[in-house]
Amino acid sequence: MERIRSYLPLWFMLPASVAVALFFLIPVFMTFVFSFTTMSSDTGILGSRYVVSDDTIRTLKGSGMDAALLEKLGSRIFTFDEAGLAALRKSNLKPAVVKEIAEKLSGKVYTSEKKLFNALKRLNNRPRSFKDRKSVSRSIVQTLKNREFKTAEEFRAGLASIGVEVAEDVFENLLDAANMSWKWTTSNYSELMASDFTGKILANTAFYVFFTLFFNVGFALLLALATFYMPSGQSKFFRAVWLIPRVSPSVIYIMLWRWLSFDNGFMSYVLGFFGVEPENWLNEYPWTFVIFANGFVGASMGMIIFASAVVAIPSDVLHAAEVDGAYKWQQIRRIILPLMAWPILFITTYQTLSLMTSFEYILLLTDGGPGFFTTEVWALNAYHTALSNYFGNLRYGFGATLAVMLVGVGIAMSLLYLRLFDFKKLVAEPQIEN
Amino acid sequence: MSFKRLTMAAVAAGLFALPTAQAAEIEIEVWAPADKNERYRFEAITLAGNVLNEELKIEGSDTRVVVKKGTSFSGSQGWAQLKQGFSLAVEAGKGPHIIVGGHEDIPVWGSAGLIHPIEDYTDLEAWPFSDLFPSLWPIMSWNGQVWGAPQDAESRPFFAWNPHLKAIGYSDADIAALPDKVKSGQYTLQNVLEDAKKIQDKGLVEKGYGFYPRATKGGDYWQFYAVQKGGDMYDPKSGKLILDKGALLGYYQFFNDAVYKYGVTKKNHIGMEWDQWYNEVANGKAGLWHGGTWHYARYTRREGLTDFFDKVMFSLIPSGGSGGKATTLTHPLTYLISKRAKGEEIELAARLITIASEPRLNTLHAIASAHLGITKAQTKVSQYADDRWTAEATALLQSAFALPNSTDFGQYDTLVWKGLTAAWSGGVSPQDAVNTVVKEMQATMADKVIIR
Amino acid sequence: MIERKTNWPLTIFLLIVSAPILIMYVWLFVDSISEINTDSIWPTEFTLRNWRFLVEEIPGHGSVWTALFNTTVFASSVVAIVVILSSTAGYALSRLKFPYRAQFLGMVLLLHSFPSVTLIISIFLMLRMIGLFDTLIGVILVKASLELPFGIWIMKGFYDTVPWEIEMAGVQDGASRFQVWYKLVLPQIMPGIAALSIFSFMAGWSEFVLPLILAPSAEMKLMSVYLAGLVNDDYLSDFGLFKAVGLFYIIPVMIFYFFTQDKLMNIYGGGTKG
Repeated sequence: MERIRSYLPLWFMLPASVAVALFFLIPVFMTFVFSFTTMSSDTGILGSRYVVSDDTIRTLKGSGMDAALLEKLGSRIFTFDEAGLAALRKSNLKPAVVKEIAEKLSGKVYTSEKKLFNALKRLNNRPRSFKDRKSVSRSIVQTLKNREFKTAEEFRAGLASIGVEVAEDVFENLLDAANMSWKWTTSNYSELMASDFTGKILANTAFYVFFTLFFNVGFALLLALATFYMPSGQSKFFRAVWLIPRVSPSVIYIMLWRWLSFDNGFMSYVLGFFGVEPENWLNEYPWTFVIFANGFVGASMGMIIFASAVVAIPSDVLHAAEVDGAYKWQQIRRIILPLMAWPILFITTYQTLSLMTSFEYILLLTDGGPGFFTTEVWALNAYHTALSNYFGNLRYGFGATLAVMLVGVGIAMSLLYLRLFDFKKLVAEPQIEN
Repeated sequence: MSFKRLTMAAVAAGLFALPTAQAAEIEIEVWAPADKNERYRFEAITLAGNVLNEELKIEGSDTRVVVKKGTSFSGSQGWAQLKQGFSLAVEAGKGPHIIVGGHEDIPVWGSAGLIHPIEDYTDLEAWPFSDLFPSLWPIMSWNGQVWGAPQDAESRPFFAWNPHLKAIGYSDADIAALPDKVKSGQYTLQNVLEDAKKIQDKGLVEKGYGFYPRATKGGDYWQFYAVQKGGDMYDPKSGKLILDKGALLGYYQFFNDAVYKYGVTKKNHIGMEWDQWYNEVANGKAGLWHGGTWHYARYTRREGLTDFFDKVMFSLIPSGGSGGKATTLTHPLTYLISKRAKGEEIELAARLITIASEPRLNTLHAIASAHLGITKAQTKVSQYADDRWTAEATALLQSAFALPNSTDFGQYDTLVWKGLTAAWSGGVSPQDAVNTVVKEMQATMADKVIIR
Repeated sequence: MIERKTNWPLTIFLLIVSAPILIMYVWLFVDSISEINTDSIWPTEFTLRNWRFLVEEIPGHGSVWTALFNTTVFASSVVAIVVILSSTAGYALSRLKFPYRAQFLGMVLLLHSFPSVTLIISIFLMLRMIGLFDTLIGVILVKASLELPFGIWIMKGFYDTVPWEIEMAGVQDGASRFQVWYKLVLPQIMPGIAALSIFSFMAGWSEFVLPLILAPSAEMKLMSVYLAGLVNDDYLSDFGLFKAVGLFYIIPVMIFYFFTQDKLMNIYGGGTKG
């Protein structure tokens, strides 16, 4: 019995641990690894590919590789030799076609597909469809160009098939130039250091987190306390109102902010009565709106937790204070706030970390603009780099680097907060043996 | 046997009989960014499927294709997701057989090995591709191969509100001659600013409405770089992108002047709502502006501008001054065959695309969405020829340019755009914006861009 | 008892600071039932046209009811997984002895500092490895896993508040530790389970990016995707319709909240105690 019981923690922890490990922990580790790669949408993520293309040859030419060798690498030769004819017989071309080709074209060599096709067109049993002509071309072509090799060995065999034998160091150069998949690099980190905008984005992030946090926690506390002293109907109403932004889809919520701030929107309309010219207020004061939009969403969570914490304060404690003739303000300051130290700390911690990694509302509101990264925060920059680029090429490796930097800061802050939380007390020893 | 049992037996027999009646059915899945007006991005392939099945019947083949409509997602955010989903899906051996992408996706997906080059599977020298507008081929090519077939074409014209032009002294004949003057370089961006100012000073439009550019970020803005002297974006010889400092300065300076010197464009224009924008330009609330050929559908249908040709002049984007030339951007979408397709599926996908590119089928999309056609013969298809807009706007295609097919384009584009918004509304001088962009590009993409 | 009567200055003050939300959402509602006029912020005439999606399909976008049903299934599955896994792991972390317990707990908090969206490439690789890429089960598992650190943290807090006496009594009566958990402890933390359910339901309800990228060809369309499809439809560009659908999207969660808010107010039963 004792032995079986001792497995209980394992069974209790296992499902959650597996899920977190699979979709959170291992991905975090992999992201760290990716930050040292050139991975992007044009390198692909899986598998290796070696292709000799026009670009490869151009690159090699620039690095001073032997011109005759490059000529050979780029060539496409169509030869009706024994091997080629054998391949033709195996294709699904009509036997009559293959027979005539073997009779009339055996031994002929063509240097371009066009010439080959012209020769084919003069046959009596000519391959009529493009597909059949291509079939001939594919059977007899000797080329390396634009062929895809999965491994270095295949690539070596491919070189041999067009009669190229090179020294090992030249082969390594060729292999490197033909490699289409991602490579190991530390350049992501050096690029980050070299960019003038890194510091700006960092400062933006600190600014955004600090002010939004201030707004969030301040309003959460204000609402929690105010609704505590209100009749139940009113407090329910205000809490519900402040929850609406949180449960709204972000596109709708942001659309409403834009409606509020645009030059034909609500603010301009109201200010119009005071003689203020209509203005696109969002572009004029982007940070104000970024912080407000995020603050109104974020306050609801703190509000709920604080409100429930106030409710949880035993009423005789408050009652006693009231009998002593303390005013509400004193009640709040002397009794409620000290008792709320923990929830305030929790919310502050939690919101700091959430805000550092959040970007969705900024993305929809200003998209980091206007201008040079005016409201671009770190997480949004990671998103822009790794996941969203109108013109397609997403830089996963660089995005991973940005994420790694963020998690570094996150870990440091978490450790700090854990210390404040008195972590040891959190993990107090169980009072029953398993 | 009761009647009920009989019917059940009949239904069962019918059910079992169905799969055996047909021979090999091959499913071809298509993904496309397609909303209601652009449904023919899919539907053309579906219609082509019917034709292909008849052809296969005649050829005596047992194979039949079934075209399956997959993910459709349009708009810039949605489209980015569609592309991202495609990349990952094909890497995992899933996703569609045919995708409609932008031509700028060709280098990225080609490089990652996600697509088959179409030139290997269909004869580009045969009908209908033999009849394609020749300027479209380079846009479909990358790294020495032709990868896709254009699905549509378009251009991004410059527009003016005729009644306002008349009010500042243009005669009907002047207006009629304006497109040619733009093309020959006699009417430049400088004239645009001056006319916009005149229109505004006359009180015809409100302040900031003289020149009314596109509402959001987009490739369109590259036009104002391309019309400058030396405004090249790509060096075919080295395969690298080009950033011309002089052209970049001219481009930033134009928008900076429009806002600060002439006051004909709003400082906080970018990021406004499209609904408002369309409504305003289609009702004469703006003097001069630029848009896309597909805007015609919106102006004339939803915004009710029925006398478009009386009210609106359209032309190329005027030259940026001496040494520059008028042009317009074309951004064709393209049918691409993904690596999800294997063996026979590739051939069938290529045949579907070929049939869907026939003038009559392609015209359905052109008319329904007010895009331009891809072949010369299309201009003779009655539906196309009878449509005054497509017929006249097609002429702009001859002077059009496209964004370069380069894997580095996205990073380059992002930076140049940021520079524009800084010079426009960020309180940065055009020269400083150019310097910042150049410096950042030297720091982060030195080996990918030629800065001159 | 604390005296709770209307304090007008306070109420008016709260009304003022809540004004942006009130104005925005009242206008959202009004716009959804009126013809929109882009020239002015005032609605012109009453119409139910924007709500037509309730009875007919919007061409090219399918039925809203299917999307609503799918979203409900999706969000409920996420809730089920998060609640079950967090309530077991939270109990273990709070009450059971095992090696590296402190490290596990520290890790749970650290994970929160990772921007989950940048993990997507790695998550893709994991899903592909276990064969769940492009399936909704995969997306549900991923979404639930990303919510787990928060869930475990909250549940651990709730367990911490349950008096040890309850468990000791159970063990002395001869019940196994599992029985004690199931029969005695679990009923004590029902408010916690309710609160966690609400939070994870909201998270699942609004999820947008994950299904789109991790299950691109799945047939199941969620409300978030349906709505984004409408906003991105340049030619449809019907803001009235869009606003009505958006409102329709919010209503179920608000109803859910109204029925559960008393439970939600109990979240401080634990979760945040030091």
